[in-house]
Amino acid sequence: MGLLDGRVACITGGTRGIGLAIAQGFLDEGARVVVNGRDESKAERTLAELDAGDRVHYIAGDVKQRDVCEALVDGTVDHFGRIDILVPNAGGSSGNAPVAELADENLQDGLVWNFWHTFWTMRRAFHYMIPQEWGRVMPVSSVEGKVGKPGLAIYVVAKHAINGLVKSAAHEVGTLGITVNALCPGAIETDTMIEQGPPAAEAMGLSYQGLLDVFASESAIKRLNDVEEVAAVATLLASEAGAGITGSLISIDGGTAPY
Amino acid sequence: MGKLDGKVACITGGTRSIGRAMADAFLAEGAKVVVNGRDEAKGQQCLNEMGAGDNAAFYAGDASKQEAVEGLIDFTIEKYGQLDICCLNSGGVLMTAPVAQMTDEEWKLEVDWNLNHVFWGMRRALQHMIPRESGRIIVTSSVEGKLGKPGIPGYSATKHAVNGLVKAAAQEVGTLGITVNAILPGIIETDIVRETGPDSAIAMGVDGYDELIEIFASESAIKRPNKVEEVAAVAVLLASDAAKNMTACMFPVDGGTMPY
Repeated sequence: MGLLDGRVACITGGTRGIGLAIAQGFLDEGARVVVNGRDESKAERTLAELDAGDRVHYIAGDVKQRDVCEALVDGTVDHFGRIDILVPNAGGSSGNAPVAELADENLQDGLVWNFWHTFWTMRRAFHYMIPQEWGRVMPVSSVEGKVGKPGLAIYVVAKHAINGLVKSAAHEVGTLGITVNALCPGAIETDTMIEQGPPAAEAMGLSYQGLLDVFASESAIKRLNDVEEVAAVATLLASEAGAGITGSLISIDGGTAPY
Repeated sequence: MGKLDGKVACITGGTRSIGRAMADAFLAEGAKVVVNGRDEAKGQQCLNEMGAGDNAAFYAGDASKQEAVEGLIDFTIEKYGQLDICCLNSGGVLMTAPVAQMTDEEWKLEVDWNLNHVFWGMRRALQHMIPRESGRIIVTSSVEGKLGKPGIPGYSATKHAVNGLVKAAAQEVGTLGITVNAILPGIIETDIVRETGPDSAIAMGVDGYDELIEIFASESAIKRPNKVEEVAAVAVLLASDAAKNMTACMFPVDGGTMPY
């Protein structure tokens, strides 16, 4: 008996890092899961790692495109017959720079990647969740959805926007058995962080290690978070016991932003 | 295999409602639990209902009294050899009133019950947890720890205060394997709310208990009160190993009333 028996989840960017940990957490509780990613070869490794047979399904695609986002949600319903849980988890930023030098196209790209993809998948998922009067939507936001760091405006702005979307949407569907919450992790050294961290650090005038140290130093625990912690919160929110939690920005940040 | 195998918890106000739901959930995950309450008979009834044998115990005492709170911590450690999870859950209002009519006696009761009890319990528990470099402090705060309603100033003030205490303490012990978190439920129709709600409604100038519940529910996105099981599930998460890096959280269980 799992907490998520019979539930179907869709996770964008689900082949690595936080998304992969959430997929594993959901599978462990009995859900069926669609994971998404851009890279077929990474997906093969992910599916082998998850080792969940036909309870896990991969749909390729780049979430920066609306068609892909909508097809991902539709594809989840086509494959497993329904969608109960949506985790818009893909995201990141590139071309970070101080605002005075920030290029339009880089900000736009970050908004599409983080915010628009969340909106596109959420809107589509609501089309299924509202009639069935059950749903859980939980974008992976960030502690940077609550605070701001110099040189990281792309990421900070996009994550703040997601948090605003969560608050509004939660009230729209609050009486329909659908909850909408943002997961706000502190810094975690995922593959994405390892890839995107060094150029982001440069934009902040720091070394990569210096960037990690800044995040850790702002917390109470003085170290980074882990993906499994995010997965544990996601599982709680997805469960029946999570029915009374909505519109919330849940901190998984070691005490950095206690609100 | 439970998430809390081998752990020992104590819960102030643990014989009924939220505290009782936490106790049941902790027991289900393998923990040993000491529940506290004022009434010996209710305590025994609670133990009988839980049916957990040697894994549960009752400690009688009034959580608004320092010796009772510290006594609970000491009793737990003596009985089970350690304390891993300290839930400071007791609290409420008794004969509340608007500030202009608030009596010193009521004010003092609410400060002792809702705030000082948390401080006394947290201090005693941390003295045990710091040398062990392991522990979880979980405080039952309230959505009223973030906002204020007319007529319940003592409740709002003390719940705001415990949130500040949680944030400060979390920073103090953040590198010692100890987390300190607050759970902020919306209105729940617990026994205590049913008992004290009618007086609170009068103080708030609303038309009876049902109207009081309706006001709280109407502020949420889910348009209903919350449930004790929803709070207990969050408490289990915060007590588990998976939440080792979650600290200083103001964890809302309020149906979307206060989204920050």
